[in-house]
Amino acid sequence: MSTVSFILPSKKYKQRVTIFSISALVVFVACWYMDFNPIGFFTEFHFVRDLLGEMFMPNYHVLADDASTAFSIVQTLSMAFLGTLYGGIIAIILAFLAASNTMPYQFIRGLAQFSLSMFRVVPILVVILIFVIAVGPGAFAGVLTLVIITIGTFGKLFAEIIENVENAPGEAIFSVGASRMQVIRYAVIPQILPSLIANLLYAFDVNMRAAIGLGIFGGGGIGFQLQMAKSVLHYKDVTALISIIIVLVIVVEKISDYLRRKILGDEKLK
Amino acid sequence: MMAKVKKYSFKRYRKYIIPVLVLLAVAEGAGLACGASLARLQEGLFKGVAFFGYMFPPDWSAFSEMLQPAFQSIIIAFLGTVFGTLLSVVFAMLAASNLSNSWVRNITRFLIGLERSVPEIVILLLLIAAFGLGAMPGIIALALGCVGMLGKLLADVIEEIDYKMIESMESVGANKMQVIVFGVLPQIIPNLISYALFRFEINIRLSVILGAVGAGGIGYELDYSFGMLQYHRAFTAMLVIIVMIFGTEHLSNILREKIKVGGALK
Repeated sequence: MSTVSFILPSKKYKQRVTIFSISALVVFVACWYMDFNPIGFFTEFHFVRDLLGEMFMPNYHVLADDASTAFSIVQTLSMAFLGTLYGGIIAIILAFLAASNTMPYQFIRGLAQFSLSMFRVVPILVVILIFVIAVGPGAFAGVLTLVIITIGTFGKLFAEIIENVENAPGEAIFSVGASRMQVIRYAVIPQILPSLIANLLYAFDVNMRAAIGLGIFGGGGIGFQLQMAKSVLHYKDVTALISIIIVLVIVVEKISDYLRRKILGDEKLK
Repeated sequence: MMAKVKKYSFKRYRKYIIPVLVLLAVAEGAGLACGASLARLQEGLFKGVAFFGYMFPPDWSAFSEMLQPAFQSIIIAFLGTVFGTLLSVVFAMLAASNLSNSWVRNITRFLIGLERSVPEIVILLLLIAAFGLGAMPGIIALALGCVGMLGKLLADVIEEIDYKMIESMESVGANKMQVIVFGVLPQIIPNLISYALFRFEINIRLSVILGAVGAGGIGYELDYSFGMLQYHRAFTAMLVIIVMIFGTEHLSNILREKIKVGGALK
């Protein structure tokens, strides 16, 4: 056998073995600390099997019997739409204030950049809990949270998009006497509009998923219905609602993908 | 006068006015469905500002109680990412067209797509229903949550690897396992690590949210403090969470830069 390689392991091989065993040890210690046994998922699989047994077959009568389910789907879509619309508008305004080529005053620029990063780091859980207290549980609290999420996720990206525009058209019309507003209107906006719209479509897709999660904390919509059905142990309703969620998410994703591809052209979309 | 009317004619601005009107109409309808109104927003903003007054100042005496839950949240995110990445590699190999046959590929791609459309929090709710409260359902939910994103990304990476290396290994008699370990894995490891780090950032944020639903950790502390009306304590938890998110983001950025420069631990 290749005893030589065991007598003289290469430096690279030694290094790899060290890295691998250290990482394995770290994972092992972490598992031990959390009292988590990955194999437990399989040895105690009968819990999952029991649950699946209770979940089937899905009870689609929730759709027919109760108008609130159908309404909650509309509500979730509305939440995602409003969150994207208002969040997008605020994000675009902040992005213009934070981009170096549209905002000449460093103080305002710094302020806008700081507020964008604050929106980014503030935990979503805190935001939804505060809004539920401020405006009461329901879809409106969810909408306000989605506005914050959208500003946080897309504000910085929009600022980068604005900063990456080509300068030549702006300089050309500036040199013939266009005002700063006119430069933005005729040189910057035409360049950024396609990617802004494409990103907002993607934001709608993201917000749609987030809206479902927010429902569980009192944000309204189909997530709230799901939480209710689960807490009264109506697992057949839960299965029906989950399948509705899956269809909803896939449909929204496909539509948003299709529109984005149309706006940006095939090659620009990764 | 005539010219002015022409300048601002409907025809000229039609392509702006119509989409804006449609958007406004949809927004109005959506606002009705959500019960959104300016009056409620105004009232809510006043309440929210007053509420911040209640939260201030943070209760620093609770700070030491927050450290252990915060650490637990980080460990939950870490283990979720590790097991999720391992699971994703398996799924990605089954979903890559150059390693598996078209049947297996289509089924796996379908499963990955299915997983991506289920929010992690829904998976967690189901796992809690099966296993009860605790860190275990949280870790499993995060691990399964990785498959939708990492599985797809890694499958695309595997489909783009240099196939000559694998062909030459097969021609000298390597079996499937040897091809994967010595031919495929070394090529995907740089991407694997940088995607896993990216997912770790997401999982840190998720582990806070999942904590509030019942996976424990700092999210639970926050939700509990809100529920017990201990707002000063909640503020402390919030600050700890912000530091946690900020710290992991920076750490993962630094590591990613290192990988880019060092060529993934080569």
